[in-house]
Amino acid sequence: MRKITLTILPLFLLLMGIKAQDRTITGKVTDRAGAAAASVSVTVKNSTLGTSTDKDGTFRLSVPSTARVLVFTAAEQEPIEVIIGNQTYITVTLLGKTTELKEVVVTALGITRDKRSLGYATQSLKAEQIADKGEVNIINALQGKISGVNITGASGAAGASTNINIRGITSFNGSNQPLFVVDGIPISNDVDRTSNTLFDNQPANRAIDLDISNIESVNVLKGPAASVLYGSRAAAGAIIITTKKGGTKGGRTEIIVTSSYAQQTATGLPKVQNLYGQGLGGVYNPQSTSSWGPKFGTTPTVANGLIVGGITQSYQAYPNNIKDFFQTGSILDNSLVINGGDAKQNYTFSVAYTKNKGILPNNDLNRANIKFGANTTLRDKITVGGSATLTNTLQNGIVGGNGASALGVLAGLARSIDLTSYKTNGTYKNPDGSNNFLIANVENPYFGAYENTTKSNLYRFLGNVVFGYDIAKWLNISYRLGADVYTDRRKQVYAVTSIRNPGGQIIENTIARSEINGDLIITAKKNGFFNKNLNVTATLGQNTNQRKFQSVFLQGDGLTIPGYYNINNATTLTNGSFETSTSRRLMGFYGQFSFAYNNYLFLELTGRADKSSTLPTTKSTYFYPSVATGFVFTDALKINNNILNYGKIRASIAKVGRDAEPYQLKNVYVTGGYGNNVAAFSFPLGTTAGFGTSSRIAPIEPLSPEFTTSTEVGLNLGFLKNRITLDVAYFDETSKDQIINVALAPSTGFASKTTNIGELSNKGTEILLTVTPISKTNFKWDISANYTKIINKVISISPGITSFSITGNAFGGSVPSIKVGEPYGVILGGVIPRNAAGQRIINPATGQYQTLVAGQVLANPNPDYSMGLTNTVSYKNFNMGFTFSFTKGGQIMSFTSGLYKSRGVYYKTAEDRELPRILEGVIESPAGSGNYIPNNIQISAQTYWQTLGGLQSEFNVYDATVLRLQELSMGYDVPVDAIKRLKINGIRFGVFARNLFYVAPNAIFDPGVNTQGAGNIRGLELQSAPNARTMGANIKISL
Amino acid sequence: MKKLSIILLVVALGFMSCKKFLDINSTPNNPTAVPPTVLFTNTTIGMAFANANDLNRATSAIVQHIAGVANQTAAYDVYALDGSFDNQWNSEIYNGCLNNLQVLIDQYSATSPAYSGVAKLEMAYVFSMAADVWGDVPYSQAAQGLKFETPRFDKVEDIYQGNATLGITSLFDLVRSGLADLAKPSILKPSVKDDLIYGGDLTKWTRAGNTLLLKFAIMLTNRNPVLAKSTINAVLAANTFINSNTLDFEVPFGSSVGNRNPIFDFNNNLRTGDQMLSSRLYALSQSLNDTLRLSKFFTKPANATNTFTAFNNGSTAAVPALATRSKYNTYLTGAVGGEAPIRLLTNFQVNFILAEAALVLGTTGDPNTYYQAGITASMQKVGMTATEISAYFAANPAIVNLTGTNAQKLQQIITQKYIAWIGNGIEAFDDYRRTGYPVLALPLNAQGDNPNVVPTRLPYTPNELSRNPNAPNPRPKTDVKLWWAL
Repeated sequence: MRKITLTILPLFLLLMGIKAQDRTITGKVTDRAGAAAASVSVTVKNSTLGTSTDKDGTFRLSVPSTARVLVFTAAEQEPIEVIIGNQTYITVTLLGKTTELKEVVVTALGITRDKRSLGYATQSLKAEQIADKGEVNIINALQGKISGVNITGASGAAGASTNINIRGITSFNGSNQPLFVVDGIPISNDVDRTSNTLFDNQPANRAIDLDISNIESVNVLKGPAASVLYGSRAAAGAIIITTKKGGTKGGRTEIIVTSSYAQQTATGLPKVQNLYGQGLGGVYNPQSTSSWGPKFGTTPTVANGLIVGGITQSYQAYPNNIKDFFQTGSILDNSLVINGGDAKQNYTFSVAYTKNKGILPNNDLNRANIKFGANTTLRDKITVGGSATLTNTLQNGIVGGNGASALGVLAGLARSIDLTSYKTNGTYKNPDGSNNFLIANVENPYFGAYENTTKSNLYRFLGNVVFGYDIAKWLNISYRLGADVYTDRRKQVYAVTSIRNPGGQIIENTIARSEINGDLIITAKKNGFFNKNLNVTATLGQNTNQRKFQSVFLQGDGLTIPGYYNINNATTLTNGSFETSTSRRLMGFYGQFSFAYNNYLFLELTGRADKSSTLPTTKSTYFYPSVATGFVFTDALKINNNILNYGKIRASIAKVGRDAEPYQLKNVYVTGGYGNNVAAFSFPLGTTAGFGTSSRIAPIEPLSPEFTTSTEVGLNLGFLKNRITLDVAYFDETSKDQIINVALAPSTGFASKTTNIGELSNKGTEILLTVTPISKTNFKWDISANYTKIINKVISISPGITSFSITGNAFGGSVPSIKVGEPYGVILGGVIPRNAAGQRIINPATGQYQTLVAGQVLANPNPDYSMGLTNTVSYKNFNMGFTFSFTKGGQIMSFTSGLYKSRGVYYKTAEDRELPRILEGVIESPAGSGNYIPNNIQISAQTYWQTLGGLQSEFNVYDATVLRLQELSMGYDVPVDAIKRLKINGIRFGVFARNLFYVAPNAIFDPGVNTQGAGNIRGLELQSAPNARTMGANIKISL
Repeated sequence: MKKLSIILLVVALGFMSCKKFLDINSTPNNPTAVPPTVLFTNTTIGMAFANANDLNRATSAIVQHIAGVANQTAAYDVYALDGSFDNQWNSEIYNGCLNNLQVLIDQYSATSPAYSGVAKLEMAYVFSMAADVWGDVPYSQAAQGLKFETPRFDKVEDIYQGNATLGITSLFDLVRSGLADLAKPSILKPSVKDDLIYGGDLTKWTRAGNTLLLKFAIMLTNRNPVLAKSTINAVLAANTFINSNTLDFEVPFGSSVGNRNPIFDFNNNLRTGDQMLSSRLYALSQSLNDTLRLSKFFTKPANATNTFTAFNNGSTAAVPALATRSKYNTYLTGAVGGEAPIRLLTNFQVNFILAEAALVLGTTGDPNTYYQAGITASMQKVGMTATEISAYFAANPAIVNLTGTNAQKLQQIITQKYIAWIGNGIEAFDDYRRTGYPVLALPLNAQGDNPNVVPTRLPYTPNELSRNPNAPNPRPKTDVKLWWAL
């Protein structure tokens, strides 16, 4: 080694000496198979100098001394850059799409694999497919781009969480969010709640702490076969994120500066009427929350309430009083990345700052990230690397929910209320700071927004250290240690005179999570194992994982001095104050054996045994295996013609176990408390304590892990030299022995019991089609389309139990549930009884519907199928891309639209308002005869719409079918020649838009929301913020 | 290779230390065992909370003590009751009180029967409350966890009278069993620290138990007068029941946030604009020249000219401005705010029961004496002075003396009981359905299952209907009468 260095050094010095001269470089370009690649363009980067390879694949080019990089461009091939350095003869191998799908993907545990060898589906996105598109939350940036994945944001509020499910829902009670892994380290994507999900400020899912501009690639491991090495944690799939690293530019230091600014506006509000104002029954009443008052312009009379005590009341429409509550938000995003070094010694440094002002008043998210990472290779055998990221995320939000919140009051605000003036004049509060609103005991939306706030201040550290040692050429051992630690300090206040907490309230909530993860991995590779065509890779590993959580929740009630939010201002500190701490540990041992025969037949055997702290010792160790196989039949059968150039079939069977949540095994007692948001009691009573049994009964039988078994078959095809590729997967997953808090009849004295029971099935098809209609040096057009259809079904729960509610918060009457024979998450509630013909039955006494039948399926939030379509076109220095997403079916229950209707605000409620209505339905006539006649009982428009609206009504369920222009971006790369004198490698200008338009034919609002955010409860819109539309521009400078 | 061995050794050590490393699954967040004292305080508050919270609001609107003017109470006012009361059934009654009472009974019957004794009395009270508002409810199989995962709905008559075939102990026998427990030696006993009602005085609990027998017996006037009479006479003979206002069985609350009684917390804190005095009650009170007593139950807003502002049940007319509304007064909400006790068994109640029993069943004693004692006890209870009470008696001889037919006399008794029970709608609702008094007119704009009839029961709750196959689904309509009803 030392000798070589000594030899090279003088040579290097010599070359340095001659660098000022022009020189001639020769070389050869071959394809993967080693065959000569002709007509490959070879150019000097940042210049017009160039040539092409001849039929032997060789080239000869005279370059100036300033030339540093050669660019090789071939059809179906990403340009390859080669640092010239001191080379005079350069060989290049084209690895790309020329003849086959050579795509290196990051699989479980950071193992990079040739995609052709995989027996299961993965899908990856590169930086340019997600970055610079005006999105703050990485999950949102994946929307519409990945098959098999369902993504729905809570709302357009800044920092609102986003739900992501891969291949449907596989666990009744456990988390169905995929595992997030950043640079090999599992990280938390939890949503930490300070309030009940019905009333909170839509706190972020913690993947929001990731800086999108620093992400190099995202790879989605969809099924258990793909993620089995991650064990229990990845039972719902895994999102593998790789951040940017140094050393990718062959020694050159790269500096990238990006800056982006966007504006956000609220979209998707139901359309309002502006003909009738506040009141009921055609009579003006300034205390009414409804708009069933007289028509605007009606002659004021005492009878219609417009003259009171001889004084004519001011009465006019304020058409924008709802719309104007939402403000223009903005996203400012700046980042700097410095990458340096070469493949052996490199570093990366980045800083990023994102400032997102939300569409709601007093709602924002500010995020700052700093990252430093370095890798080094010692003596060609030892690699040591690591990175550290520090993030500070501030989220400031307004509490939501039914009734006593800004958004609750805003939903269906009476048309004659001049809301904006409260803001302009600052009169939403009285001089003494108390709530001021036209309607007594209703919170002024601005008071709610400005006075009742939740602030979160999070510091997060993500760090990892990787140590690798090549013991022998065929044997490597590595240890990877990672830590994800964060502390979120939150403060939630309710002002004195707020409707929800009239005495005022301060909540100091400190949430700390930490995860330490260590993986020891031994990898052995042997090519020509027994047979010269058989390559074997064996991986053995051990995983240690510890997760800790602590939430210290101090609730101070009864504030003495209004507006003073220090806990020492509270008169009671014992209501609801608590600490919750959990610790869980897991040790896993795993092995994977991969066989590749002739590079066309692949077999992979994987097994993992976990031992979890959360399960009883007799059941705490569990093993689960997987088998995956791939067969590139085009290679095996030597099919390689101009039409079909690549074909692979694959199949896998995998099983993944999942442990329980901590502390499920014993019965406990909890602090006593009664009531809800309209009247509540909590112990202690003065100094007297009270405890009661927990509403959950601990398992009688020892709890065992739950298992998901998945069978997957897939097909990859490449046509016309991969101008068209197709990736189809069909999967069938069954999850059994679910660890469930199965609901009990309340009359048992308990709400649930924890047990292993139940079965859930997911069957689905995923299709990914890419087409490159045009592929020329200066003009390229790529189309990527995906399709997902997942059929989810609850096969069984427990003998005698046909349904129970999903863990979480719900309003009685619309309860997200698990019901046998239905897909997961159907919303159960009362439905109007129907006759045999399916017609709704009318109560002949009232002309309204008969008493509801409880516990029926009101809505099914699971879509029939979803599709995404991305087009990317580049022409010379211009490029543009757009992504459409389409979701067919799935239902959403909307409280907002219910109130728009019952409060007479929805525009249709003004149509022919003076005319009576007849509800669609039938009357049994004569009673008890089973004979039905059409309903002929007239009711008023007000009664009619109140029947069709309100909070709990089957008429609030809408088909969530929606077509959305998810993303649109356009960019222009300034020609290199124009800027090279400025020593700039590239400048790119871009404009982008998100959610530019949507079409939801069957909903009166944008159904692409999910109020309770990330979690198992879906399909509910509970007077939350609407969606946002984002438009902006960015600039990216590479030095 | 040597290095590999070291690594394997490390892995092996990892295996060995694994057990201890993973033994971290005991919760630091909740106790796994608690003393009986904290269960007893919890059930006592729960019993009162269940009585005074939403069930009280719904029944108070139905009996027209109050008029609902906004939100849920306005719906109850016009009989739109469907879909409500999950919280009451689930978290207040079955999984708030009864489950913990069952724990007290199961764990302490043998060693400390003082606790099982008071638990049985509370249990009888809570079950009767459920059976009286809903009718057939889970009783003999209820609140026992996995022993009965789908509890049977026992019939009201079986709950009151027992049914040996079905293994149902009557409410009377449950009370008697509790009284027997109280008489036994007990290692642990309730004390001033955990007995919120009587400060550990078990003789007062015995009085409360006997008073419960009176309350249950009077429910049987229409169906089993023989049992009713014998029970009442037995209690009278033993003479150990609540016979003074100072012995009233009432649960104290506090005035700090989270400790307040639900009547205050709803009306004066969280839902200040939802309900107010019913104009029907106001009219009744005026007709009885009884507005002084009414002013103890309801406020006369300061800014009005010292008059009540009431609202007609079910009216869609403009609601008076908040500050001018007559709302519950300090007798029910507390002088400081929230600390008024929730009254569950009272001396005035006992006297009205005995007046009715003497009149209808012919039990010992004079109806009129008991009747007057009941009115006096009520007036004293709400804070009228002796002078005010004697002035009322002197000025209204036709009201304070039973006159006319037995039906008219019964109407007088129940009407007075109805007024005395303002703030406890459940009791007034029970008496109304059992006797038909006071005569109630339908609210304006009635809706619900049957807009033409005052509801005779509350609808079963969605959670129980969807989770218990033994629940009658579809539920009986709210015009189906209970077994003991008139």
